[in-house]
Amino acid sequence: MSQWLLLGVNSVSLGGLLFLLSAGFSLIFGLMRIPNLTHGSFFMLGAYFGVTLLQLGWNFWLAALVAAVGIAAVGGVIERLLLRRLAGQELAQVLVTLGLSFMIADLCLMVWGGDPIPFDAPPGLRGALPIASIVFPTYRLVVVVIAVVIAAALWLLLERTRLGAMIRAGVDDEAMARVTGIRVSRIFTIVFCLGAAVAGFAGVIGGPILSVYPGLDGDMLPLALIVVILGGTGSLLGALLGSLIIGFLYNYGQVLFPELAYIILFLPMLLILLFRPQGLFGRHVP
Amino acid sequence: MADDALSLAGIDAFYGDSHVLQGVSLSLAEGHVLGLLGRNGAGKTTCMNVAVGLLPPRAGRVSLFGEKVSGRPPEAIAMRGLALVPQGRRIFRSLSVRENLTVAARKPVAGARHPWTLDAVFAAFPRLAERQRQTAGYLSGGEQQMLAIGRALMSNPRVLLMDEPSEGLAPQIVAEVMSTIRRLKEQGLSILLVEQNVKLVFDLADDIVILNSGRVVVSNTAGELRAGRIDLHQHLGVF
Repeated sequence: MSQWLLLGVNSVSLGGLLFLLSAGFSLIFGLMRIPNLTHGSFFMLGAYFGVTLLQLGWNFWLAALVAAVGIAAVGGVIERLLLRRLAGQELAQVLVTLGLSFMIADLCLMVWGGDPIPFDAPPGLRGALPIASIVFPTYRLVVVVIAVVIAAALWLLLERTRLGAMIRAGVDDEAMARVTGIRVSRIFTIVFCLGAAVAGFAGVIGGPILSVYPGLDGDMLPLALIVVILGGTGSLLGALLGSLIIGFLYNYGQVLFPELAYIILFLPMLLILLFRPQGLFGRHVP
Repeated sequence: MADDALSLAGIDAFYGDSHVLQGVSLSLAEGHVLGLLGRNGAGKTTCMNVAVGLLPPRAGRVSLFGEKVSGRPPEAIAMRGLALVPQGRRIFRSLSVRENLTVAARKPVAGARHPWTLDAVFAAFPRLAERQRQTAGYLSGGEQQMLAIGRALMSNPRVLLMDEPSEGLAPQIVAEVMSTIRRLKEQGLSILLVEQNVKLVFDLADDIVILNSGRVVVSNTAGELRAGRIDLHQHLGVF
């Protein structure tokens, strides 16, 4: 019994991590129509930035924040210098971001080497927390809290601020938004940087669970894709629920049907694409 | 002579290979209403798109109070005091009524006579105040038109472009829109009004320009035209 409950907690915490990974992907794709295949690279690069700062003796949370800012800057450069010139050309954007992800992977291999680099959760969160008769790993519970806080903050930003309304206005009718005086180009850069920052932050937050290794980007990108296809693009609620569904499928699938793990992950994606292509909570009908 | 509020001078504009504006010149004097008439496809909306910067002209110059604005991006032109109430209204459908207004809010440019705020727009259009929390896409056509006008006013423009504001509206709503335009004119706003409804234009405009196939064929005061010296039927077809 307690083993199943523990599996449930792990599912929710993986879901939280997947939300941090895919929220930015969903916003960038849903709002700006850019299928950003460097998103997994942002996650991995964030983890590498973070672990480097930790090795320098930085505080864990400060390292995570600074890594997020660094990835935001990387994202901003990519958006301004490359993707901006390819506006509206989705195939070109796919190819460019895919090529970039290979280049980033190569650079990481050169800088950080081929071995996995494990890193620890912040002191004080490493142990386990006994609740009732079950012992929960403390850090995984913290990941859930962080995901909820970031989800709420992103929702407030999009739905309750003037900047959020400007973002949505730019999505509704870009030309009219510009005529209204909204600097849509600058606002979309902000969205891209924000999405990249959350992914980089997630890389550090996920580090104590996943560690960081060459190929982490390729492991995470498909998960972000499934989450966003399940939940629907441009919808934070969709990304949240999609992440939880995948978190549960991943954990329970691996225990119950270990040899079918990928089928269990990707089958729901196929079904959604066939029968509800806008996703469960999609903002746009493709 | 003082600079015109808005002037288009020798504008050539293309959609692809199609030469839709051919040497169009027109000017809107400060505080006036200029009516722009013409058949469907004559180039009226294209003139609007050129003025706001959505369609850069291939030749010619657009000036706002003497300052050249052609070649600048739409958001920069908007900042200099030009606002558009577009054809089909084009409100931000997924935003609330209130958000449609607040995203457009700008401080008045120096020289604006009547500063518009959220409260001022709600006072002018009480129905928008009642529905401020509603999603704009669910408003009726008339309410959407009020919202499109309110949104344009929130930027505290010096020049207002209105593209077919009576299109698809019930007669009493049209009357309301027209009295709004009259009030804005009394407040000193310079307005370029595009309309299919010729009678409305003659009721409101000081000056009239008629376009035909991308060229200006008539440019005169409304008074002169009312005196009937020019055969409007020739340029506007059946009405």
